[in-house]
Amino acid sequence: MIPFKYNVRNLRVRWKTTLMTVLGTALLVASSCILFGLVEGLEHSLKVSGDPLDLIVLRKGATAETTGGFESKKADELMTLGGILRDADGPVAAKELLNIAVAERNSGTYNNLIIRGVEPASRKLRPDFKIVAGRDFEPGKGECIVPPSAARMYKGARIGGQLAFGEKEKYLVVGLFTAGGSQAESEVWADLKDVERNTGREGSVSCAQLRASGPAEFDQLRKEIEDGAQFLLDAHPESRYFESQADTSTFFKAAGTLIAILLTFGAMFAAANTMFSAVKSRTREIGTMRALGFSRGDVLMSFLGESVLLSLLGGGLGLLATIPMSLISIETMNTSTFASVNINFRFGPLVMGVALIMTLVMGVFGGMLPALRAVRMEVVSALREL
Amino acid sequence: MKYLTYVFRNARRNPVRTGLTVASIAISMFLMMILTSFFAAMQEANSATKQYNRIIVMNANGFAGQMPIARVRQVAAMDGVRAATPFSWYGGKYQNKRVLFAQFAVDADTVFDTLDEYKVPDDQLAAFKADKAGAVIGPKLAREYDLKIGDEMPLQGDIYPVDLKLNIRGIYESPRNTDQRMVLFHHSYLDDQLRQLGSASSGSSPTRPATGAGNAGIIFVKCDDATSTAALCKAIDDEYRSTDFPTRTQTEEAFGQMFSEMMGGLKDTVFWIGCAVVVSLLFVAGNAMAMAMRERTTEVAVLKAIGFNKGLVLTLVLAEAVLVAGLGGALGTLGSKALFDVVDISPFTGGFLPFFYVPWSVALIGLGVSLFVGFASGVVPAALAANSSVINGLRKVV
Repeated sequence: MIPFKYNVRNLRVRWKTTLMTVLGTALLVASSCILFGLVEGLEHSLKVSGDPLDLIVLRKGATAETTGGFESKKADELMTLGGILRDADGPVAAKELLNIAVAERNSGTYNNLIIRGVEPASRKLRPDFKIVAGRDFEPGKGECIVPPSAARMYKGARIGGQLAFGEKEKYLVVGLFTAGGSQAESEVWADLKDVERNTGREGSVSCAQLRASGPAEFDQLRKEIEDGAQFLLDAHPESRYFESQADTSTFFKAAGTLIAILLTFGAMFAAANTMFSAVKSRTREIGTMRALGFSRGDVLMSFLGESVLLSLLGGGLGLLATIPMSLISIETMNTSTFASVNINFRFGPLVMGVALIMTLVMGVFGGMLPALRAVRMEVVSALREL
Repeated sequence: MKYLTYVFRNARRNPVRTGLTVASIAISMFLMMILTSFFAAMQEANSATKQYNRIIVMNANGFAGQMPIARVRQVAAMDGVRAATPFSWYGGKYQNKRVLFAQFAVDADTVFDTLDEYKVPDDQLAAFKADKAGAVIGPKLAREYDLKIGDEMPLQGDIYPVDLKLNIRGIYESPRNTDQRMVLFHHSYLDDQLRQLGSASSGSSPTRPATGAGNAGIIFVKCDDATSTAALCKAIDDEYRSTDFPTRTQTEEAFGQMFSEMMGGLKDTVFWIGCAVVVSLLFVAGNAMAMAMRERTTEVAVLKAIGFNKGLVLTLVLAEAVLVAGLGGALGTLGSKALFDVVDISPFTGGFLPFFYVPWSVALIGLGVSLFVGFASGVVPAALAANSSVINGLRKVV
């Protein structure tokens, strides 16, 4: 076998070409990885959203919290059901009311924000609910808390500011909260009673969230809520509910896949170009190696190895370039609720997988034809070449 | 001009390398076209609505806010208004699945006067008006689900707790850059069902039934002429300022603009990805050009020895780089334009994109970018060739 050192040295000697190719492919790999990092962040936010024993109760037939309103009286009855987990403060269950209102960004553009009226237990029903700045709101005082991303983006959303969604609906921002990267981090939270009053929707709720005390109670609760004549509601296991909200993620995935495939071809051709040139300028060397007794297989493996090494450098650099991206989040519109959704770039297995596959594909396929050309050379004429 | 043959010959003499470079640029530009057209096509279609002189009235608090249905008549009676229709998003399920086509409750008598670029044959329109459960659907939707006039189309409520049993009475035709997958049905059909439901269940709040009846959603208003739109927007907002449901009225173009701006960070991300691709193309094309020039060191020296000056050598190399990149760019941009003009991809997006095409402006900008890539990538190799020493070049044995 031809020592691998031969290939490494070759890349080093032709460093200008190597550098150009590496930079070119690195940018292409990074571009694809960015979208997959967003997909990863979005899916993470849907996945972490709950405990396996959490249920979301919506009106029968409704598919989303934003659209699934029902009577508050029914929700009150829900809270009294046996099988709901209880702690020192009472049942771990909450009525919530959602309003979607237009808010102005600092840039002067608009987006729809979800304002969620919550009860104290709502905090326990989210993973890692934490106040990271300021304080939690006090019920009944027209206060609200916002996630850091919204505080950065929207007019009047900083602590001490006022979020105004109209003449009647105004909230004083008193704190910033995080919730383990879950969906709640795209919403404004206020007191349920305040939101009810401000929107004139007393007597109805958008959804009820509750946690069962065990797997047996979980099934029992679902059955009771869905079949009980006084309810006739749908109880969705939280994990499955969030799966159904993944439309936006599907779109990102499709777009990301398309970009990755096209760019892989682009990068593949670039790698092939470099390798063709490498083979051509080393015709005599190849002839010499064959004359020394290295087999066709050896030469093939050597050039393929060099091509893979070249693209590994590019892919690795591209992957590294996406690491600072994890500080970045983008805010856009969720296509299923038309409301603001904040997506944090997340560096994870999906991103690494994409980078690895792109790298291998462009290394192997980009190097294949040049390597075959090297193999097919007649030893005598290759040696004769200047 | 006489050197054109020389440039062409040079570009062709390593067909594999030129081919790969052209393909690499073409594919990347093809991708850029898809990414930028997504927003540009929306924008272009949106600007096109200007000619129809329409304004849209919505609740100042957003889409979730109420718009009392009585206002449709009030607005229609204002000076300078030709027609007005409620436009209420039903957001139902079809065949018990969440679907990505829009369903709107409208006023059957005025909707096609308001949206006058949507055409329905007279007999179909009459049938639609006469049937309370009638609906008019878009041609693409009809093709996709194989629906014909006279078919039933049951929709299940998602936002609203009532189901609709619609009968298809007509199929509209509309310009290509409009949504051809809508379902339009009688607002009164939805509203009556909601009212019945409201009265059946106790009827707790008299001012505002919990079922959402009496809501027009948004109001589409057709104005007499372009000059009256701005004044009307203001007049309508002033009229309702101190009511329970203040309004925000804007032209259809501004309304669409607001929607597209909601995409926010996504647009920026796409822009930066585009930039990264262009920069990487600079490397790819520059590399190819540099490799070509390295092989031709002796030749360049010969050219200079027989009297070609620096400027000419520079121009020849640059011309070759621009030619190769421009060829790739033309393939990618014009190719994608032609492809999406012929093939309609909207069915494959599950309705996410109601229409998709590459606007001329985007294609030409793309072509310009690729020419720039060619020029920029050729600068360094060209300068090196122009300044190379004749003696060294002739001495070199490649």
